[in-house]
Amino acid sequence: MMAAVGAGEVITQLESAAKVLMAPPSMVSNEQRQHAEHIFLSFRKSKSPFAVCKHILETSKVDYVLFQAATAIMEAVVREWILLEKSSIESLRTFLLTYVLQRPNLQKYVREQILLAVAVIVKRGSLDKSIDCKGIFHEVSQLISSGNPTVQTLACSILTALLSEFSSSSKTSNIGLSMEFHGSCKRLFQEEDLRQIFMLTVEVLQEFSRRDNMNAQMSSVFQRYLALANQVLSWNFLPPNLGRHYIAMFESSQNVMLKPTESWRETFLDSRVMELFFTVHRKIREDSDMAQDSLQCLAQLASMHGPVFPDESAQVNYLARLVEGLLGMINGIEIEDSEAVGISNIISNLITMFPRSNLTAIPSELFNSFVNCLTHLTCSFGRSAALEEVLDKDDMVYMEAYDKLLESWLTLVQDEKHFHKGFFIQHAVQVFNSYIQCHLAAPEGTRNLTANGMASHEEEEISELQEDDRELFSDQLASIGMLGRIAADHCIPLLTSLLEDRVTRLHGQLQRHQQHLLASPGSGSVDNKVLDDLYEDIHWLILVTGCLLADETQGETPLIPPEIMEYSIKHSTEVDINTTLQVLGSPGEKASSIPGCNRTDSAIRLLSSVLRTSEVESRATRANLTDLLSPQMGKDIVWFLKRWSKTYLLVDEKLYDQISIPFSAAFGADTEGAQWIVGYILEKVINNLSVWSSESDLANDTVELLVTLVERRERANVVIQCENWWNLAKQFANRTPPLHSLSSSVQRTLMKALVLGGFAHMDSETKQQYWTEVLQPLQQRFMNVINQENFQQICQEEEVKQEIIATLEALCGIAEATQIDNVVILFNFLMDFLNNCIGLMEIYKNTPETVNLIIEVFVEVAHKQICYLGESKSMKLYEACLTLLQVYSKNNLGRKRVDVSAEEDQYQDLLLIMELLTNLLSKEFIDFSDTDEVFRGQEPGQAADRSVSAADVVLYGVNIVLPLMSQDLLKFPSLCNQYYKLITFICEIFPEKIPQLPDDLFKSLMFSLELGMTSMSSEVSQLCLEALTPLAEQCAKAQETESPLFAATRHFLKLVFDMLVLQKHNTEMTVAAGEALYTLVCLHQAEYSELVESLLSSQQDPVIYQRLADAFNKLTASSSPPTLDRKQKMAFLKSLEEFVATVGGLLCVK
Amino acid sequence: MADTDVDFTTGDAGASSTFPMQCSALRKNGFVVLKMRPCKIVEMSTSKTGKHGHAKVHMVGIDIFSGKKYEDICPSTHNMDVPNIKRQDYQVIGIADGYLSLLMDNGDVREDLKLPDSDLGKEIESKYEAGEEILISVLSAMGEEAAVAIKAMTK
Repeated sequence: MMAAVGAGEVITQLESAAKVLMAPPSMVSNEQRQHAEHIFLSFRKSKSPFAVCKHILETSKVDYVLFQAATAIMEAVVREWILLEKSSIESLRTFLLTYVLQRPNLQKYVREQILLAVAVIVKRGSLDKSIDCKGIFHEVSQLISSGNPTVQTLACSILTALLSEFSSSSKTSNIGLSMEFHGSCKRLFQEEDLRQIFMLTVEVLQEFSRRDNMNAQMSSVFQRYLALANQVLSWNFLPPNLGRHYIAMFESSQNVMLKPTESWRETFLDSRVMELFFTVHRKIREDSDMAQDSLQCLAQLASMHGPVFPDESAQVNYLARLVEGLLGMINGIEIEDSEAVGISNIISNLITMFPRSNLTAIPSELFNSFVNCLTHLTCSFGRSAALEEVLDKDDMVYMEAYDKLLESWLTLVQDEKHFHKGFFIQHAVQVFNSYIQCHLAAPEGTRNLTANGMASHEEEEISELQEDDRELFSDQLASIGMLGRIAADHCIPLLTSLLEDRVTRLHGQLQRHQQHLLASPGSGSVDNKVLDDLYEDIHWLILVTGCLLADETQGETPLIPPEIMEYSIKHSTEVDINTTLQVLGSPGEKASSIPGCNRTDSAIRLLSSVLRTSEVESRATRANLTDLLSPQMGKDIVWFLKRWSKTYLLVDEKLYDQISIPFSAAFGADTEGAQWIVGYILEKVINNLSVWSSESDLANDTVELLVTLVERRERANVVIQCENWWNLAKQFANRTPPLHSLSSSVQRTLMKALVLGGFAHMDSETKQQYWTEVLQPLQQRFMNVINQENFQQICQEEEVKQEIIATLEALCGIAEATQIDNVVILFNFLMDFLNNCIGLMEIYKNTPETVNLIIEVFVEVAHKQICYLGESKSMKLYEACLTLLQVYSKNNLGRKRVDVSAEEDQYQDLLLIMELLTNLLSKEFIDFSDTDEVFRGQEPGQAADRSVSAADVVLYGVNIVLPLMSQDLLKFPSLCNQYYKLITFICEIFPEKIPQLPDDLFKSLMFSLELGMTSMSSEVSQLCLEALTPLAEQCAKAQETESPLFAATRHFLKLVFDMLVLQKHNTEMTVAAGEALYTLVCLHQAEYSELVESLLSSQQDPVIYQRLADAFNKLTASSSPPTLDRKQKMAFLKSLEEFVATVGGLLCVK
Repeated sequence: MADTDVDFTTGDAGASSTFPMQCSALRKNGFVVLKMRPCKIVEMSTSKTGKHGHAKVHMVGIDIFSGKKYEDICPSTHNMDVPNIKRQDYQVIGIADGYLSLLMDNGDVREDLKLPDSDLGKEIESKYEAGEEILISVLSAMGEEAAVAIKAMTK
């Protein structure tokens, strides 16, 4: 098109098109805009537009047109590279560079685009031996030495453009070349050109750092080169032999640690380089923008590792210089706010990246100074972070820096064995003290004090979404807890005395309030400032104590931290066991009032100080002072007790090499101490549930503590000996107040705990009695209600509904308590209910909240129990579920959903049904049931004539669900994920049923799979790929080439082929996609050959053609002809991996 | 509720139209009385004043009859009134002067329920006139009642 018209006309046409594009939306129509866009698109595609573009650049005054001309040149050069004379490419590059040099006033975006074109030419040329593009560095160095700031800035822009272009990151332009090409360019670049850029940059920085006074213009040039240096130091070095990974590398990570190749050794081990960056920082540290770059450069240098170091001594030397430089930089200065994060990054990188053996190998003097400096910085940043909190700053730089340093401490002390014993104690004491000080109120602490000592105290509204401090600051607390253990000799007594003091004061304060209330009841509100301060002190003291004494674990049994065990053992000779037990056992008294209290085991005394806090709280509730108490403190107490109980209560001596006598005497198995504590905690739980039913978080934490007490058999055995436990069980079974006003989740967990307790060791008579009191009433009450003659009439009455809902909630709780050794009892118990629940579905069909709850009971039972059930039991459950689905389906036929609260909630029932079906299917994957199960013997012949199979139930369910799942509904993430999980399971487990589906259901299932593969999250995409393999195998088995499923798999072959071969895909998906591809290839060999043929025929480069052809041959060599044989399939997957590694980069294009 | 002497036989007579419940035990999608109106709770959240404050519950409810939105905030220890809600299905056997004739379970006919003044009302009317056999769901609470849903009769 362009060839036909003259250059002048082209310019006129482009300029008027540009005017349209730049016009405000109201001035031009959509069509005009599209037309204008089209003009530029076709202009950029025109053949050999170089002359026209040059002309445009030289004459046009419209920036946007200039920009497009630069883009056109860039795209055309790459497109026509092979056809162009090397000399004309060279002259084109010179033209562009000169053009920019001569026009200092170009718009920034035009200039950058032209430089980008230059960078792309250089990059494309770097692999082409016939053309020399190295000249550019010579030109750039000349520009730099010109001394003219404008020209130097331009030189910097050229280097930056080159750097971005070669970096193979998201910054690289899309020039339609293979990933392999990008990778090779990058590798070549980082060995030579990158170093040249770095050297040029270093020279500039050196030059500037020598100057005393810089004007604004020079300083801005300086800043640009500093940023460039940072970019080089953050380079993601490609290792020499990378294989298949470099496609993934395109999504390079954010925090790149410096790992240069060997060829950089001389550059980076030159001491002047590191020195320069320290000097630079000293010079510009007051400029917060530049300081960020200079500190980041240092942080990158502090992260250096890998082959750049020839041996350990080189690494040690480097580290010593780094530490020395760092100390020299920090000592004697007052750190600026803007430096805090940067400095902590340097330290954190250094501690993370250098091995401990390096740290201990540097001069000990130097290392001591470093640790002293770290200690000092940590304390100081901690104080500044506290100030930030008081001032409620948006940008919490000190908090970020403090977090980093505390994390570094954790890394450092975890390998304590590298350092001589006790090396860190004094440092740990300092950091620990300062943390405590910042979190306590004045006068001892500095909490809420501004810099000039003014107290600030405001009450803000806190929403339920705000995380609790124990989660928000869990990392900080873990570090402080660890440091506290290291300095246990100091920290444990400190925490004890602080907590005992606060508890005594809290007790006194509450008593004064009470007297005040007695003296003048109903008088106005009292000032709560004193109380609030005490609560906040206690809050932090308990959090720190919890993290110091015990670790948080999931699933496994946490051990007593070795430091604590050692500490207790070390002092056990000074300890009197009886006094210790007395201090522990009398939480109502002041510890200091007990004679000889100084001979108490310190770790136990610390625990007992928390128990004293708990006791003050309990007594206040009994004195009707609940309104004055802090629910937050209540939460802290039960959180602590839970964490502590998991680790210490009934400590299992077999798990330890040596055990502290006081510990085993106070909390060991068969001790009075353990019994006493269990009783105490139980009383606490019961009291909380009645006093704090209105505080749902606290009530939740409380029942979780209860579950902890009974989830392990040894503890449960002690628990069920307490009369209180039985009282609690009775109370709950009778639904007497206050337990019935707890929220539903609390009631469920409470039920779970009560059921778990029932599996403790008891004689059969006691056991019988227990179940009679816990489970039987539930059944009785339920039967009483539903068996009334007029149940149909009264079912909507509120009391009846409450009764039904409470029963359903309890059933969910019972299901949650399922374990392998109780499943038989619980299943039989629940089964009776399930059948009755189906009747309720009918009765409450108009009450969605009840219907949902009924389905939820089924979901829970299936979820927790199906994996343990033998054949006949499973059958019973399947039958019940099928009936449930039938009733659900009948009631939903023709139902119109009109609900005020649309959105996801409305589809709760659908979600639950899908969950139920998925749970039923999970049996095929996870099955713990014993095939010789007792029931089988009891019911011979059952298995032979199964009345219902899982397939029947699930497919029936799918028939209900599929028509209801619209594309709109798939926009709800929860529904979408559940749906794809379900259909994948079905394809995997019952592939033979898929072809039998009714036509429209089959179609929508196939459509769903395609949609999921192509346009959903990678998780869903993987699920769909996994579904394809069994479907294709099913086709191969059936050998019906006419079936719709056969046709569908042909379509999927193309999809998977494109996905694996042509698109950039997630490497995690290769296995799933590969398996699917192989089975599909087996099924459609001819079509596969066609796909390969057409791909090959589209290749113009004969070298690439050959490589591809070879790769495809190799891919199927081990499996030809492909059959559904496992061995062959594995061989194919292996070849596929190689295939992706060798040619994946060729076909995947950016 | 005690576990003995539960008497469910009294039916409607004498039953109060609301009952109290602790605020924290209410749940989303449940019902509550806000500004003297029976509401369905569509939003529920808690907050506290200061870290050591006690929980307050914030509720948004929609009037089950008028569709109007109401809000309230109160300490979680407070008792709120919860309306007794009843749902009943009736077969429509006639429409006259803007009132429905409904067949009750016991065979009686009631003619005191208004045809709703809404799209639903129109749908009931047109379906009835087209000779379809239809069921309507009637919601009642706090002395008010209204038809809220329509369903074809299944035989």
